Amino acid sequence: MARMKFYCDAERCIECNACVTACKNEHDIPWGVNRRRVVTIKDGEHGERSLSIACMHCSDAPCAAVCPVDCFYTTDDGIVLHDKDICIGCGYCFYACPFGAPQFPEAAAFSARGKMDKCTFCAGGPEADSSSDEYKKYGRNRISEGKLPLCAEMCSTKALLAGDADVLSDIYRTRVINRGASVLNWGVSYDNIKLGS
Amino acid sequence: MLNLLLLSCLMVIPFQVNVAADTPSNTGVVQNTGTDLWRQVRQRDIEIVGTSQVKSPGANVMINVSGQAWREYRVMTLIPKAGLIIFLGLLGVGVFRLLRGKIMLEHGRSGIKILRFTLNQRVAHWTTAILFVVLASTGLILMFGRKFLLPVFGPEAFGNIAIAGKAVHDYLGPVFLVSLTVLFILFVRDNIPSPKLDLKWIMQGGGMFGKHASSDRFNAGEKGWFWIASLVGLVLVISGIILDFPIFGQSRETMEFYLFVHGIAAVTMIVVSFSHIYMGTAALEATFEVMQTGYCDSNWAEEHHDLWYEKVKDTAGEGSQQQDDSAASDLHQQPSDTA
Repeated sequence: MARMKFYCDAERCIECNACVTACKNEHDIPWGVNRRRVVTIKDGEHGERSLSIACMHCSDAPCAAVCPVDCFYTTDDGIVLHDKDICIGCGYCFYACPFGAPQFPEAAAFSARGKMDKCTFCAGGPEADSSSDEYKKYGRNRISEGKLPLCAEMCSTKALLAGDADVLSDIYRTRVINRGASVLNWGVSYDNIKLGS
Repeated sequence: MLNLLLLSCLMVIPFQVNVAADTPSNTGVVQNTGTDLWRQVRQRDIEIVGTSQVKSPGANVMINVSGQAWREYRVMTLIPKAGLIIFLGLLGVGVFRLLRGKIMLEHGRSGIKILRFTLNQRVAHWTTAILFVVLASTGLILMFGRKFLLPVFGPEAFGNIAIAGKAVHDYLGPVFLVSLTVLFILFVRDNIPSPKLDLKWIMQGGGMFGKHASSDRFNAGEKGWFWIASLVGLVLVISGIILDFPIFGQSRETMEFYLFVHGIAAVTMIVVSFSHIYMGTAALEATFEVMQTGYCDSNWAEEHHDLWYEKVKDTAGEGSQQQDDSAASDLHQQPSDTA
């Protein structure tokens, strides 16, 4: 079985936020909920890097460990999903998650938290595949249609990759090997040239 | 000719670049310029704070460094330790019951009633008590439900129980603040510690080992529960209200901290409440009726709160006709007792 993973290549991410927009559009996600976000560090400074971050579908998921109602489950593909019928919106998963993936719509009176929403790797939820019930709660189920997550599929620089972990690491390994060889590489072309010498 | 010259110039440029790169400080190895940064991100030595178009709390933080510690605290420490402490608390009550059994009044009931708690005090007490029991049990569902209730009820039913429980817990929390405040105001006067008397009471083990210890309206044990309930209750309510409204931009660290405080305070109050609940209901003869009806038996008062009894024995029998007709008839037969 495949082990599904996201990988974001910081040498390629240009902080265009297209993955964020594509995700929101594909799954009809309400305001205030962002399954994916781009974080830029050292913005505007030397060494600026951006990463597109969503649920990373951990093998030992902290969200699942702290959930008081045990609503998380891992699919055969290694995708971490949750059951919104069981979720109580306590927010514990958000406190434990290293990536800030769990999101909470303001649903009840006094802005109490609604059911948790997070990246599903475009794999829906426990409902029947591609049913309207599933779409309403979790968004599109692309995995059941043989497609990969939309954010990665439409990434313009192919910074964000989604798929089987083995395939992704092969792609990334090839990139790293070739990267050092290119004169156009950031590190070669800019960092190490001493102008005038 | 010109083309050839240009071409040779172009060919020189990469050559020069290679030479420049091959300086002693950089021995030909092209380093990823982000190496140090990613090392820091991966090892989580520092909180990597950046910028993001998403503006929710923590959205600009790349890695949440406190999450793992909080997970370990909740899963490895809080839940098992709280379970053990609550179990030991219940065991303690059980052992005490086995050792002492039901503690009866030495001279039985006199049948003469003395007003001990006014209607306001009783309403405040029972409002707080009911809220406490509901809040504690719904809180315990969140703490232990996954381990004990989920296997029994199954995920669907337990999910519904937990959803209802959380809603009740969230909405009743702020109400508990109100009832706790009222209770504090009504009872604080007689719960102010009197060092000499309370110390003596504690030294005598509250009369647990035979001889009754002297006490005013409330003994040191009751005062202890009053102050624990008030102060720990205040901590519980404040931390709870911060957790209740996650809309003021509280950071994850803030919420983790108050969950830490809330859990410890809750377990403390629940365990201490066992002794209060047991002492107030089944442990002592003629005790539960006091908070139930507001009146205590004069023998009960003399035995458990001798100093208070001296102050109020003149009022014995007043207003108790509606409460207990037989007590009233006893009064007429033994007028000398109430004088």
